[in-house]
Amino acid sequence: MILEKLLSHGKKERDVTEDIKRHIGLLCTACDTFKTAVERDDPDLVENVIQLEREGDSVRREVISHIYEGAFLPYLRPDLCKFVEIVDEVFDLLKDTAFYYLSTRLPERIKDDCIRVALLNFRMCEMLLISYEAMLKGKDLRDKTLAIRIYEKKVDDLKYDLFEEAKKVRIDTFWDGRMLADLISGLTTISDIIEDASDHLQIIHVSMR
Amino acid sequence: MKVHEFMSTKIEFIDANRSVYDAAERMVDRRIRSLAVKFSGEEPGYGVVTSRDIVFKVLAKGINPKKIKVSEIASKPVACIDKDTGFENAATIMEKSNIARLFVCDEGEIIGLISLLDVMAAELVAIARGDHDS
Repeated sequence: MILEKLLSHGKKERDVTEDIKRHIGLLCTACDTFKTAVERDDPDLVENVIQLEREGDSVRREVISHIYEGAFLPYLRPDLCKFVEIVDEVFDLLKDTAFYYLSTRLPERIKDDCIRVALLNFRMCEMLLISYEAMLKGKDLRDKTLAIRIYEKKVDDLKYDLFEEAKKVRIDTFWDGRMLADLISGLTTISDIIEDASDHLQIIHVSMR
Repeated sequence: MKVHEFMSTKIEFIDANRSVYDAAERMVDRRIRSLAVKFSGEEPGYGVVTSRDIVFKVLAKGINPKKIKVSEIASKPVACIDKDTGFENAATIMEKSNIARLFVCDEGEIIGLISLLDVMAAELVAIARGDHDS
């Protein structure tokens, strides 16, 4: 199959494909850790999310440098780099969201919905990994991208309710309100970027046919 | 996949003593098709009133919706499932009971709602995850 030949021809290519898998796997772990941190209200676990982002950053740098050291045909390199950068954007936003979480107190009335969004974000990461592995095997991604769109729609449904509930929370200072708004915004935007990553994966998949 | 992962938590409640007009107003305002009905007094618990109940049992019969209480047309008790029920079981219950939505309950309290659309979406996700591959 041409896709397998393109993606696993040499050692450099195999290193890159494995590193990308590791990158997405780390993102899954970070999203899962954040969900558990919110459930348990555990600041140490939130710190772990920030550590995982740093680790993800170093994997991203390795992937990009391996690609430009000559892995893959030149026409494929920008798309692969772009995909890795989009996944890294998710990491960045998750880290910012973790920071906002540490800087504010999550009101009880929105806690359950925040946990549900965090769970959906984690499920979307899992699906992105499944999608990536399917692409490596040259399988059709249609059902995977649809699943990611379904998850994203679920997060969107929760997003507006979350903001409506947040309006009812008594805020004492400007920064309390700002941090809470940024926390909700970050948490509910992660799914948009994962969807972008999934769309880009589909583009790579099509371009390699 | 368990129903709590995909249920809607946006549930509107109405007191059983309110008028059907109030219920219809709430549904149109919020663009929803059903309300959870809170019964109190001698037989407390939950019921459900749907747009279908309002149209078929009240409006189509020419009854003034302001003069009839929600309790008179609501179904009680509601079909309730545990939050850890799988979607396949939920679909079977919906099929057997011929209902389009199921309430998700935890220790007797309604915590969510799943519709036929949620069941379809969950099934599509399960296919993508390879849950049916064996």
